[in-house]
Amino acid sequence: MIIPNRSEYLKQQARNGQKIMGVLPALYPRELLWAFDILPAEIWDPPGDILQANAHLQTTICPVVKQGLEFILKDPEIVTAGYLFPHTCDSLQNLATQVKDLIGISAPVYTFYNPKGAFRQATRNYYQDVLRELQTTLEQLHGPCDPEKLQTACQLGFKIDTRWNELQKAWMSDQLPVTNQEYFGLMRALEYMQPADYLELLDQVTVQDQTVIRNDTRLLVSGILPPDIETLSFLDELKVRIVADDLLAGSRRIPIVCMDPPYDPMEHLTDRFFMLPPCSTRANSLAERSHYLKTLIAKSDAQGVLFNIVKFCEPELFDHQFLVKSLKSAGLPLLNLETELQPGLSGQTKTRIEAFIEMLDDQVTA
Amino acid sequence: MSISARLKYSFMKDIGAPALMSLKDLKPRRARAVSKAFGPPLQSNKRLKEILSRHYFLARYAPGAKQVAWVTSGAPVELLRTFDFYTIYPENHSALIGAKKQGADYCAIAESAGFSQDLCSYARIDLGHLLSGKTPAGKLPKPDLLFCSNNICQTVLYWYKAIAQELNIPLIHFDAPFVAIEQSQHDVRYMAQQLQDMIPILEQVSGKVFDLKQFEIILKRSQNSSMTWGRVLECMQSKPAPMTIFDAFGHLAPVVSLRGLPVAQDYYNILLEEVEDRVTKGIGAITNERYRLIWDNIAVWYKVRFLATFFAERNMNFVTATYTNAWAETTGFLDVKDPWSSMAKTYGQIILNNNLKHRLGLMKKMIRNFSVDGMVMHSTRSCKPYSVGQFDLRKALSTELNLPAVILDADIADERVWSEQQIQTRLEAFCETLEDTSLV
Repeated sequence: MIIPNRSEYLKQQARNGQKIMGVLPALYPRELLWAFDILPAEIWDPPGDILQANAHLQTTICPVVKQGLEFILKDPEIVTAGYLFPHTCDSLQNLATQVKDLIGISAPVYTFYNPKGAFRQATRNYYQDVLRELQTTLEQLHGPCDPEKLQTACQLGFKIDTRWNELQKAWMSDQLPVTNQEYFGLMRALEYMQPADYLELLDQVTVQDQTVIRNDTRLLVSGILPPDIETLSFLDELKVRIVADDLLAGSRRIPIVCMDPPYDPMEHLTDRFFMLPPCSTRANSLAERSHYLKTLIAKSDAQGVLFNIVKFCEPELFDHQFLVKSLKSAGLPLLNLETELQPGLSGQTKTRIEAFIEMLDDQVTA
Repeated sequence: MSISARLKYSFMKDIGAPALMSLKDLKPRRARAVSKAFGPPLQSNKRLKEILSRHYFLARYAPGAKQVAWVTSGAPVELLRTFDFYTIYPENHSALIGAKKQGADYCAIAESAGFSQDLCSYARIDLGHLLSGKTPAGKLPKPDLLFCSNNICQTVLYWYKAIAQELNIPLIHFDAPFVAIEQSQHDVRYMAQQLQDMIPILEQVSGKVFDLKQFEIILKRSQNSSMTWGRVLECMQSKPAPMTIFDAFGHLAPVVSLRGLPVAQDYYNILLEEVEDRVTKGIGAITNERYRLIWDNIAVWYKVRFLATFFAERNMNFVTATYTNAWAETTGFLDVKDPWSSMAKTYGQIILNNNLKHRLGLMKKMIRNFSVDGMVMHSTRSCKPYSVGQFDLRKALSTELNLPAVILDADIADERVWSEQQIQTRLEAFCETLEDTSLV
C-alpha cells in the first residue's frame, strides 16, 4: 500500500485542471463538492511555521485555526475553488468572516452551519435547508448540480464509509497487518484524495481471514487529530497499537452504523450527519460521549486511553474533564498529551509515553 | 412546589427583602476615595444595588416556591418568564465574583477538578462555585433546568453540558445559526420552531400550562426595557456624556438578568430620567471631558475602577461600547404579533452571532454617532467570538477613520492574567498618541 503524498497529489490534480477547494475542519457534505467536480483539500495541520497569521490572531487561539489561516495567507496556487469553513467552533466561525470580510482574500469563501445540540425534526429539516443553500451557492459559480453526479458521489461516499466500517472492525480484531503510521495515513488520505482513487487505495488493504496473534499493547486515542508521525512511529517501535480512535479527523466522521445505500441524496446526506458518533463539536451530551468511548474501549479491548489534546481547543477541553473522570472511575489508565501541532517528539513526551506503556504492561502481567 | 416554601418566598419578597434593604441603608459604609476627575455619581446606583441584592437574596428562597433556571445572557428568557421560573445568570454571577477580585480563587477550584486553565473564566468561576458551593452572594440555588443559547458563543453550550452532567438536570439549548452573510428564512424558521418545541418541555418541568397572553405581555415588557436601555445609552451622545461606559457596565445588569420583569422596566425609566436630567443640566460623568472613547469587548471586571480612574484623570471618557449596546441593538425586531419569528430575528442577529462586516459597520456608526476620538479593545482570553478578528477590526477602523486604537491583552474575570506594568505602558502610549493626534 503506497499512500500518495498530500502535497504532490494535490499539485498533480491541479496540473490536471482539477478544481480544488480548501476545506477547514471538520464536518461538511464532501459528496456535494464531489458532485460539482470539486476536490476538497482539508486543512487541519499544514506544515510550516506560523508567521503571517500571528498578525491576525491572538496567541491564545488554537493552532488548527492559526495553521489554517497561515495556509490561506500563503495564497496557494492549488486552491482554485475557494475555501469552505464548516461551523465547528467559535474560533473557526470567526475566522471565516475575518478572512472574508476583513482580510479580504480573492478566492470565494463559503460557510456551512452544522446544527448543534438537540437533534429533533426541526434540526433535521434545517440541516437539509443548509445543504440546499450550499448547493445553490455552488451552482452560482459552478453551474447546475447534476442529480446523477450527486447520486454517484453519494454512492462513492457510502462505499468509503462501508469499507471503513470493515477496516475498523478488522483493526480492532487484529486482522489488519498495518502499522499505526500506515493506518492513520490511510485514514487521513481521504482529506485530499479523489473518492475513486481513495477507494482503490482502500482496496489495496488486505483484511486477514483470521486474527493475527499479536502481543501489542492496545490503546484508544481521543482528540481532534491523531498523534503526529514521530509519535505514531515511536508507538510502533514500542509495539503499541492504537486499536480504536475517537478523533474528529478520524472515526467521528464515519457513521456509527452501516447505513443503507443512498436512495435520495439529500436524505442520505442528512441521515449520514445524524448517524455520526458523538462529538464535542456537535455538542452531544457528556453521557453520550462517555458511553460511546466506553463501548469502543470494550469492543477494541483497549488497555488504556491516550488523549491527544490540541492546545486551546475549547470544545475538546470542556468534554475532556468529564471523560477523564468517567474513564478513571471505570479504572481505565489514561495519558494526556497536549499538542501545538509542531513536528518532533520531545524527550519528556517520550519518557511519559514509555512510563505509561510500562504501567499498562505491568497491569497485564499482574 | 410546597405551600410553605411559596408562603416563605412571598413573605420574603413582600416584607423580608424590603426590610433587609432598609437595614442595609442604615449600615455605615467605608467611604471610598474617589478621584476628583469624576463628576457627581448617579443617584440610580443606589437603586441598582437594591435591585440586584434583592434578586440574589430572594434566590435563596426560590427552591420549593418556584422552579429555578440557570440561563445564559443571550437566551430568549421571555419564554421561561411565562412559566414563572426564577432565573439566575451564571455569567452575571461570575462577573460579580470577578469584580470582587475573587475570580482566580474560583477558577483554581475548577482547575483542580480538571478543567483547563485555557477555558473561559466565566465558566471556570461558575464551575468553581458549583463544585465548592462558595459565592459572595450568600447562597445561590441549584437549578432545576438549564437554558442556553449559542448566540453569544459555543462555550456556553459546552459549559452548560458540564453542569447538566454534574447535576443530572435537563438542558434546553436554543441553537442560533451564525449569521455569516445575512439571516436566511430557514434560519428564522428553524429557530422559531425550536422555541415552539420547547413549550411542552417547559410545561413538564414547571407544571404550568403555556399562557400566550402572558407571554405577549412579557415580550412587550422585555422589548420596552431593552429600548429604554438603548435610550439611556443614546444619552451618552451628549457632550459631556452624563455617564461613563464603566457605569453602564454595572447598569447593564437588569437588562441582562431581569429582562421581561416589571422591576427592570421600572428601573430603566428611573435611570433614563436621571441621565436625561443630567444632559439638560450639562452634568458630565467626568469633570473635564476632552476625549471620547469607544470600548470593545466585555469589561475587565477586576479592573473597572482602575481603568475608569486612569482615563478620567486624563480627561478621557468612554461614551460607548459594543458590549453594552448588545442588549439594545436588535430589540426592534421583537413583534408580539409574530412572537416566534421575531424572537428568532432578535436573538439570532446579536453582535456576537453576526459576521465581522456587520460588526465593523456597527462600530463605525457608533464612532460617528458618539463623536469618538479613540478606541480601546479588550482582547480577552475567555471570549473567542469577541476576540477573534479584533486585530483586523482595529486595522480597518484605524486606517479608514484615522482612529487611534490600542488592544489590551487581559481577561474578563481571571485577574491572574493582568499585567499591570505592561498594560499601563500601553495605555500611556495610547493616551499620548490620542493627545498628539488631536493637536494636528
